[in-house]
Amino acid sequence: MTKPFRPPATALRRLFLGGAAVVLLYVLLAPLSSTDAGQQLGLPFLTDRLWFRVATTVAMFVVLASAWNIIGGLTGYASFGNVAFFGLGAYTTGVLVSLRQWPFVLALLLAPVVPALFALVIGVPLLRLHGHYFAVASLGVGVAVGEVVNNLQPLGASTGLFLPIVRSNLLFFYLMLAAAALAVLVTWVILHTRFGYGLLAIRENEEAAAVIGVNTTFYKVAALMIAAALTGLAGGIFAQWNTFINQENVFPIEYNVEMILMAVLGGAGTLLGPVAGAVTLELVILRLAGGGAAAAYSQIGLGVLLAVTVIFLPRGVIDFFGGQSRLSLGALRRSLRETSV
Amino acid sequence: MDMKGKLLVTLVASAMLATACGGAATTPSPSIGSPLVIGSAISLTGSQAKEGNLAKQGYDLWYDWIQAQGGITVNGVKHPVTLIYEDDQSKPDLSATLLEKLITAEHAQFILGPYGSAATATDAVIAEKDGIPMVEANGAAQAIFSKGYKYTFGVLSPANKYLTGVIDMAATLSPKPTTVAMLSANDNFSVEVARAVVEYAPSKGMQVVFNKTYPAAAPDLSGLLSQVKPLNPDIILNSGHLAEAIAINKAAKDLNINAKIFAYSVGPSTPDFVNALGHDANYVYDGSQWTPQVKYSPQFYLSVNQYVLAYKTKYSATAAPDYHVAESTAACLALQKAMENAKSLDPAKVRDALASLDVMTFFGEIKFDSRGINVFKPMVVEQIQGGVHYTVFPPNVANGQPQYPTPSWSQR
Amino acid sequence: MSQLLQQLVLGLLLGGVYVSVALGFSLVWGILNIVNLAHGAFVIIGAYVTWVLFSRLGVDPFLSLPVDAVVLFALGYGLQRGLINRVIRAPLLFTFLLTFGINLVIVSLLLLIFSPDFRSVTPSYSGSGLSLGSVTIPYIGLARLGVAMLLALVLWFVLNRTRIGAGIQAVGADRDAAQLVGIDLRHVYALTFAIGAAFAGVAGGLIGLQQSITPTAGDPFTLQSFAVVILGGLGRVSATIAGGLLFGLIQVLGLNAPGLGAGYSNAIAFAVLVVVLAFRPQGLLGRLA
Repeated sequence: MTKPFRPPATALRRLFLGGAAVVLLYVLLAPLSSTDAGQQLGLPFLTDRLWFRVATTVAMFVVLASAWNIIGGLTGYASFGNVAFFGLGAYTTGVLVSLRQWPFVLALLLAPVVPALFALVIGVPLLRLHGHYFAVASLGVGVAVGEVVNNLQPLGASTGLFLPIVRSNLLFFYLMLAAAALAVLVTWVILHTRFGYGLLAIRENEEAAAVIGVNTTFYKVAALMIAAALTGLAGGIFAQWNTFINQENVFPIEYNVEMILMAVLGGAGTLLGPVAGAVTLELVILRLAGGGAAAAYSQIGLGVLLAVTVIFLPRGVIDFFGGQSRLSLGALRRSLRETSV
Repeated sequence: MDMKGKLLVTLVASAMLATACGGAATTPSPSIGSPLVIGSAISLTGSQAKEGNLAKQGYDLWYDWIQAQGGITVNGVKHPVTLIYEDDQSKPDLSATLLEKLITAEHAQFILGPYGSAATATDAVIAEKDGIPMVEANGAAQAIFSKGYKYTFGVLSPANKYLTGVIDMAATLSPKPTTVAMLSANDNFSVEVARAVVEYAPSKGMQVVFNKTYPAAAPDLSGLLSQVKPLNPDIILNSGHLAEAIAINKAAKDLNINAKIFAYSVGPSTPDFVNALGHDANYVYDGSQWTPQVKYSPQFYLSVNQYVLAYKTKYSATAAPDYHVAESTAACLALQKAMENAKSLDPAKVRDALASLDVMTFFGEIKFDSRGINVFKPMVVEQIQGGVHYTVFPPNVANGQPQYPTPSWSQR
Repeated sequence: MSQLLQQLVLGLLLGGVYVSVALGFSLVWGILNIVNLAHGAFVIIGAYVTWVLFSRLGVDPFLSLPVDAVVLFALGYGLQRGLINRVIRAPLLFTFLLTFGINLVIVSLLLLIFSPDFRSVTPSYSGSGLSLGSVTIPYIGLARLGVAMLLALVLWFVLNRTRIGAGIQAVGADRDAAQLVGIDLRHVYALTFAIGAAFAGVAGGLIGLQQSITPTAGDPFTLQSFAVVILGGLGRVSATIAGGLLFGLIQVLGLNAPGLGAGYSNAIAFAVLVVVLAFRPQGLLGRLA
């Protein structure tokens, strides 16, 4: 009896998903070991403050990358201004908590709302642009919003805002993790509804999509609003977690590039691509950054890594693990020939 | 074994050693204790790499000296020091994560501050949450110290003192200048400096005729200066960082703007300023945390002259150290003294010792007010004359007279 | 009134700088559809080359401009031929990301080679200017504007009056058709990128006269080039000139916005950008390809 031949890609995929599930479970439960209840049970400390700091940062980038994926990966509109939503969410929470003495949870509920409304206002005019023009316009918005906030006295201007210190690593980790889960869930829902098909249609051929009856303006703006809401939520959590916010740390343009990188390297337009990309890249960045005093070399390393990945893995890492293609030299060479001139 | 356990063992061991050494009436030489880990997340790359490296030079100077001594003596035990740096690439968020790494993974027991007020604010939060004392020397924005944080201490004079010294000096000169133009970069430190000037100048009989902020790191400031020109102010002040100081000076010359006093906070004290501008750097004043001409008699560590020599030797420099270096060394001194005073390495006890510290060093008096910042050390004013820095105010530390008024560009 | 005039003059002079910086960027974007995020790094390399020649060998900065051009031309050709050519047919985003990585590497290398010290080029004749009444026109600013216009003229000439220029424009119009008529795509791509880099290098040589040079000082120039291209449009040299001068004026006048602090000038500049994109995406003079 001949056994049916199992293509290695499926095995790889099973391995990847299995491994991811184990990691997820660990990440979910390990922090509990540092609670009082966990200590009473005699559990060893599986997590320390650094673990929480890194894990929360990674979770934050999962949210940012997944949110970007909705407008950039699924709809095909590469936004370079998502950082504006992050900052708006952070400042919404920051202002409400530090200047108006709202309780944090209440302020957090508004964190997705303000950026979403902003997305509605600028989305309508900007989403009429395509390709590079949209990218630059969104970049302009990202820069402009940060500059305006930096000048507004009622928002703390250049001094920034200090929120009251909340000492709970667990709270912020689980909050950010929940936000990440929400982002992935929202993406999943979108991908399994007509809305998602509409977005993909817009990405593939917008004119054709309009012809078959997709209300492109509505769909695009909705996608931007959803992305804005998720990004703003992450910003709101960040504001209280970091305790101090100013233009420099909640409107950093590098975040934009990083979230796009993560989504693309992982696999733009897929469900788990941005997650994989965010986790991998952020861990790499933090690993390279913590290399002591020789950080210039680490940045060179990051740049080289980027170049290599972009040239050889244009469809993202998830491509191989998702079973779409095989990790072989021939496949790499073929993909290279496709994209070169 | 945790910190307290290690300390106990060390103390017991040294006590046993001491008694075992015999009953001679000499004090036993301090025994060697466990290494003391001090960490610092500092900007070695990125937009603030220059200033971050200056701070590192200051920390390293102290490190060499303390290692030569064998370590910090706490309660009769000498603890050699391990100094660990992490590069935060001039990004405040990274600074916070790296600080957490230093504390948690690399077991830093005390922290030396980063460069810049934004990073300092972010790091202060971590220090407060983790209960680890942080002594900083490069973040002067007072906002950091108005939050009631107990674990952050700043050895430098706060932002609001940077340029008020120039106003004081101007009030003593004749013909007395009466009008002031205040330009400021739009970051939290520079804005505080400017606000202080605007509030203080009228009390000295000077009127602020121009007061505007510009986006930080703006490349070309001639547009802004052209608005200043028709007002013909006696004093032109800039609050910003090195790049802006250079840009403003160039623009002033381009537009042929003459004033009796040009003074910039941050910038003119660095050798880069003179190197970049050549002759055009002359006559410029700046408010400085410290110059090599101050006449403080230190209670410990090197004297002013010894410090300058140590710097020139270690870094093969021809110019004396800039105040960023000196203030960073002062932060180390404060930490060291606090540990010695506390007779303990327990973070809470060292924190209390810092709060009650009062010691005179080559940098000046180090004492913290109730907020945690050092308001007890005066700023000095220096001027660049013939490419060389001279301290010109206050008179008791001056080694030169202000060359006043500044001649017009065409006359130089 | 004369103050307004002075500001207009300064705005135009600043615009000259922007024109010189954006020419190469606009060429590469318009013809190759590549948004080069490492453009600012090329500018700074040019500034460093001029600085090295000025401070070590005493070469006048204006005389070192051709050297800047040659150095950056070589660098640009190598980068395009070796790296960027490999992602041309991939989605637009990939060239963004690749050039971002290149930018990271260049800035880090500059940091290692030159350290973060602030440099500037201050020749003996800096600071002198022409005085027309109460309006001062700094000579160096004027010279920079002149060089920018000269560069624009050279670019226009190359693109419209030479064979290689025809080849470049053909590739820009229809890449596959150009290949069909026998144009070596790889070479022309590399050449175009190299020309863009060379222009950036020359702009960099001019920049060092006006502001400090540090490894990270290049990033703002990329951002500014975006703005110039958006304002003026793609596809024509005159568009870049119009965009550059306009952007310079907006920046200077923005510092004097009534009611708002000068700190809003960046916000104003980018808000104008967004508005232009929303209502006239082809810019003032561009051709929306």
